[in-house]
This record gives sequence, structure tokens and C-alpha cells, in this order.
Amino acid sequence: MAAMSLLLRAAAAWGARRAVGGAAGGARLRWPSGAARLPGTVAPVRHSSHGKRMFIIKATSFYDSRFLNLLRFYIFLTGIPVAVFITYVNIFIGQAELAEIPEGYVPDYWEYYKHPISRWIARYLLDPPEKNYEKAMALLDVEAKKTELRLMELEARRLMRARGDGPWYHYETPDKNLTDESMKATPDN
Amino acid sequence: MPEDRDWEVYKAPPTRTPVLEKDTSLSNPVHLFQAAFSYVLDRPITFVREWIERQQAKNKFYYYHQQFRRVPDLSECMEGDYLCFFEAEAQWRRDRMVDQEIVAIVRERFGACQQREGPNQFQNCAKEMEQLVQVTKAYQDKYGELGAHGNARTCLMKQKHRMMEERKAQENADQ
Repeated sequence: MAAMSLLLRAAAAWGARRAVGGAAGGARLRWPSGAARLPGTVAPVRHSSHGKRMFIIKATSFYDSRFLNLLRFYIFLTGIPVAVFITYVNIFIGQAELAEIPEGYVPDYWEYYKHPISRWIARYLLDPPEKNYEKAMALLDVEAKKTELRLMELEARRLMRARGDGPWYHYETPDKNLTDESMKATPDN
Repeated sequence: MPEDRDWEVYKAPPTRTPVLEKDTSLSNPVHLFQAAFSYVLDRPITFVREWIERQQAKNKFYYYHQQFRRVPDLSECMEGDYLCFFEAEAQWRRDRMVDQEIVAIVRERFGACQQREGPNQFQNCAKEMEQLVQVTKAYQDKYGELGAHGNARTCLMKQKHRMMEERKAQENADQ
């Protein structure tokens, strides 16, 4: 239908050129626009969807549409596989059910989570919370022992300095038998 | 899909709508809407949901609520025993979380009662209101104005001050 209208429009343009050529060449009666025509002849077409073709001047949307296309592309590149995977997990594997802890059974640390992906992450990627707890306690233990020893050292230093009866603050002096007091033996030196 | 809440917990009282006697021969259009809803929405959705549940029932697995052992409290720790402090602090935080959940549950019960009773709430919900008042007062006494940096030690100090004031008030009352 578009091709038909294009054809008709091209034929109309050709007919118009012929009519102009005819009018410039010689006086010739031209068919009025409202007269009946023979079949196969050209008539001005009035499809309402094809008005005069306009060249609309507006600001470029090239950069904006390029940005949005790239944004959608890179988001969906990983977004769609992740969404499909999560849908598969939720439909075919499903979430855990809450149960009472059976007698004599100690659940593993990942069995306290509900969603299968959380359980997987807790089991294979993260450390058990007991390990973190013990690590924190070990750190505290080391620091506590260091604090204790430092306080004891300060106390010992203070006491030895005050009483002077310990091995610290004990400065070696040379033997008094080594001093030569011959210069001071007589009073007139 | 989010689970429905447990319908047995907050049971609404049975409705007392009277049985109507039909006096026209026109069929009730409400039955038409109910049939349309059932065939267009209810049955397909139920079918899909049951299919999904059959897939999930092939390998069931469970999760549990973790039970923590009780450790000595902060008031039973020796001075300078930092390991004991750490464990007591962890236990206090867990207990505070549990207490927050308890308060939330009691508040939810009261809200459910209000919603259920409607205009009769002031008479029929007195028990739930009393429980909520007691629970929130207890929570406020214990954890009340400790602030964002509240820990087991500040809570213990608050308890100590409370006991001192109780003793003082008792002495004043005795005199």
C-alpha cells in the first residue's frame, strides 16, 4: 500500500512535470482537478497519513539513546542469567522448612539458614560463626595476657626502684680496690 | 512466594450472617463472578503452585533455630577476665534481641485483637492491653535509656542503680 502510494505519487510528479512542460511549450487546456478521469490516469492522492514530508529540527537524541541502549545491554548481560538462575532455584529447589532440632543431633552451621542460596554461601564461602567467635576470643586472650604482663612489669619496676633490693636499677660500679688514691695520700698534692 | 501467616493463631470469631431466603427466580450474579474468578484466576494459580510444590517435595531439607548454651553472666565474671566479659556481652545482646521480638509479638497480638474486635476493643482486649503495658514497662526498665552504645556493663549499672533506689525507697517507706 505504501509502495502503491509512492508509485502514484511518482506518477503524479511525472504528470505534473509533463503538464508544466506542456504549459511552457504551448497553451494547452489542463484537466481541472475535479473532472472525471479515464482509468489509469494520474490523480493527486489524499491519504491522510502522508502529508507533506517535514524535516523536523530537534536536538540530537543519538547520545541519549546510545547510553540507554548500552545501559540496558550491560545490565541484562548478567542480570538475565542471574534472574533465570534464581528463578530456577526458587521453583525447583525451594526453601527449607522449619523443624525442631532432633534429639542428639547437632546441626551444621549452614543448616540455620532458610534460602538454599544463603545455605550454599554459608557453607562454601563463609567461615562458621563459631570460628569467628573463637578468633575474637583468642585475640582477646593474647591482649589480656599482654596487659597483665605489662602491668606486672610496671609494678616490679616501681618496687625495685623504690626499694633498691632487686636486680633492676642496679648499676655496676668499679671495684673500690682498683682506685688509686696515692695522689690523695698526702695533703699537699 | 511469601507464606501466609498462621491462621490458627489469631482466630476470628465465627461470623453470624443469617441465611437468606431467595424470593426471586433470577440467578444471583455474585455466583457468576465467583465462577469467573475461580476459573480464570484461582484454578490456574493453584495448579501452578501445586506443580511447584510437587517439584520441591522431591528433596526436602530443613532449617533449625539455633540454641545457644548459657554462659556465666556479667555479674558472675571476675574482674579482668576479658574472655568472660566477651561471652557475657554476646549473651546479653542475644537476650536483648529475643526481648525485642517478645515485645513485637505482644504488640502484634494487641493490634490483632483491636482489629478483630473493632468497636468492642476497650472491653474485650483488656487482657492483651494489660500484657502489653507490663511487657513494655519491663523492657523499658531493663534496656530503656541505655542508648545506641548500650552494652551489658551499662545495663548492669542501670540494674544496680535501680536496686539502690528500691532499697532507698523501702527504707524511706519503713521510717
